[in-house]
Amino acid sequence: MRVVQVKCPRCQQPIYSKVKDLAFYCQHCRTMHIRNGGTNIIDFDIAEFSPNARGDRVYMPFWRLFSSFTINQANVAGGTFHKLSRMIKGTANGGNLFIYVPAWETAVDEFKRWSMGMTEGQPMYSLRQDFNNVERGPTAITKEEAMQLADFVVVTMEAERPGTLQYLDYSLQVHDARLVYLPFVRGAQGLVSGL
Amino acid sequence: MASMKCPKCAAPVEFDAGDRFVKCSYCSSQIFIDKAGAGFIYALPFSVTENDAVGIFRRWAAGPTRAKDLDKLAQISSLKKQYFPVYMFKRDVNGMEHVYIEPAASTTLPGLHNLKVPGGDLKIFDDRFDTGGAELVKIDIEMAPYLSSLPGTAKEQALVYFPIWRLDYAFEQRAYVAVISASSGEVFSGDFPKRSSGAYMAVAGLGFLAFLAEGLLAIASPVLAGALMAVTVAGVFGASNYVARRM
Amino acid sequence: MAISVGLNCPACGGAIQVAEGDNVLNCGYCGSLLWAEGDAGVMTVAYRNVQGRDSVLRATEQWWRKGWKARDLREKGKLLECYPIYLPFWSTTTRVAGWICGYEERRHTDREGNVRTERIPMEEMVLNDYRYTSIACDPGDLGIRYLRNVGGEASFADFESIPTFESTTSKDEMIATSKQRALEEARGDANVPHITFERVIAIPKGISRIYYPVWVVRYSYGERMYMATVDGVTGNVLSGRAPGDPLYQSLAVTAGTSIGGLIAAGGLAFGLGAGEGLLALIGLVVGGAVLALTYRFFRHGSEIVEGDFEGKAADMRGKLMKEARRTFRGFHT
Repeated sequence: MRVVQVKCPRCQQPIYSKVKDLAFYCQHCRTMHIRNGGTNIIDFDIAEFSPNARGDRVYMPFWRLFSSFTINQANVAGGTFHKLSRMIKGTANGGNLFIYVPAWETAVDEFKRWSMGMTEGQPMYSLRQDFNNVERGPTAITKEEAMQLADFVVVTMEAERPGTLQYLDYSLQVHDARLVYLPFVRGAQGLVSGL
Repeated sequence: MASMKCPKCAAPVEFDAGDRFVKCSYCSSQIFIDKAGAGFIYALPFSVTENDAVGIFRRWAAGPTRAKDLDKLAQISSLKKQYFPVYMFKRDVNGMEHVYIEPAASTTLPGLHNLKVPGGDLKIFDDRFDTGGAELVKIDIEMAPYLSSLPGTAKEQALVYFPIWRLDYAFEQRAYVAVISASSGEVFSGDFPKRSSGAYMAVAGLGFLAFLAEGLLAIASPVLAGALMAVTVAGVFGASNYVARRM
Repeated sequence: MAISVGLNCPACGGAIQVAEGDNVLNCGYCGSLLWAEGDAGVMTVAYRNVQGRDSVLRATEQWWRKGWKARDLREKGKLLECYPIYLPFWSTTTRVAGWICGYEERRHTDREGNVRTERIPMEEMVLNDYRYTSIACDPGDLGIRYLRNVGGEASFADFESIPTFESTTSKDEMIATSKQRALEEARGDANVPHITFERVIAIPKGISRIYYPVWVVRYSYGERMYMATVDGVTGNVLSGRAPGDPLYQSLAVTAGTSIGGLIAAGGLAFGLGAGEGLLALIGLVVGGAVLALTYRFFRHGSEIVEGDFEGKAADMRGKLMKEARRTFRGFHT
């Protein structure tokens, strides 16, 4: 076992942090990198807060998975099946979409809420270059895990509809994953989107 | 002992095969030893002494399936301290690591064909290793046939000397053998004098039937049945106590 | 032989604590962020031994008094030797996420005796982390297969003084077995009787090698040698062999035959009297079961065995210990 000091792979500055975060962010050159076997600099997005988002601001990480999706056959008892097809851009039963997977360590309900909320909502945001000294939630889910969880998000969206899912035949391909920091405000009932 | 350079101050550091961590005596760095090296010969130390081995055998011989009083009546004819060689293979099978243990000496001794992974504090076996007078069982099975017949590709292989006590004993004019792992105290045994379950079953079966009959009788004649039950309780207790002690 | 440094902060040289399964660390002295890389992805952690000879021997003597062990073990038992070892364990965390959909069938009988089957559709979500531990070598006759305790202080300080058992079983097999077990368990938790659709994935979150201190105690009873193992962190007896007592064996079978026989007689008498054959049969079966249970102790109670002594380490399937189950931890709490 080897223990090394975490340094930015671009500018070689050591990174100091009290938070255990799988995504390492260099304050000096604004580079983010992850470590899995090697050191990989990754692209990431920081979304701008809405001017109306007041209060205790925090950026939470999501893995945004660019995916193509086809429904071949589905059967829902006592309900209808159209939630996914409704938001897919493309042909009637297939197309591309962004699947959002919360990258922090979430409780089950929180995971459901934000993966479905963001994937259904397909948020629009303008980008900014830095975190503007806003606190950053730590990433705890790796890119590989997020890609494996894409299936789960898709089925969850269908299953959470009225009616009981009985059968779903679909194919899903994840093409690309990007770490996206979305703005939130901490409220009494947990996080509120700051978009 | 092997040695290496301390990765921090480059001073020589000596270490033993079982060591995963050593402390550099110059700069006090804790050093972790990554064992990717292959081809070592290891030996497990004897942690069971001769007296322990006999005691463990007697405990085993007193077990419920062994013949009554085997622990007292078995005559130990010989007790040999031996190192039995086994090959340990680490193989890559479809990207998964598998460990295989195969005997390196032909033997009819019980237990040594299906040793799984010898547990213990592996020490490097070299000129300076003290076998404590144990006989090294001669290696008469080559490693090569295993290497070609085992699945997957080789990652690492080693020869491990597994410490055993070979105990020969006689019971009612028949010879038996037991092998005691000197690493964990596990007893391996092929054939051994067995204890019959007959008496145990008879007591339990008869007692059960007697109570069943008396229970039915109690509907017609509770007083008589109660008296009979008291007698049966005493009878079953006495008989079972005798069986547990003596049969 | 590849050598790698460890366990002192590479920035300031201060000693650092490595916890199981955590790749990201903070140096308590200089505040540097540190990254721990295991060999082939495996983190190694050792627990500090906090027990001593005396406390271990005391725990063994207390253990002698518990259960159906020989009554004279306290007087006749002689503690002979006692030493600590480090045993290697694999510890895995596997996250299971998915949906299991299907239906349950319920039968309703109406007044005319017609049976109607109702299908109740079910959709169950599974999202859980499962942690398993398993010994990473052949435990031989130690009677230990799983790590029961997860608390304690991590430290490599005793590594030089305590003999360490090498980990010799395959980590890949452990990961594969954990995945399989986690999926089976998740399926069991979902409890959907007839499955029409299932999409469940098991994601291995990590594997660690844990060196755990265990004390081995050998003691004699008459001429026989018995053993026990004591947890080096909690001080509890983990496993052991001890002589039984014929008195308890005969008491057990006396109780078993009398209670079992009377239950069977009661079932027969009431069942046949009321013309309910089923009741008679139930009485016989229950009575027989009571008898069988006590017979086992009667036949095999001459040696009391506690711990995981059966099977072999390579036969891990179905024998992994479910250590603790957590759902996802909340971050904002």
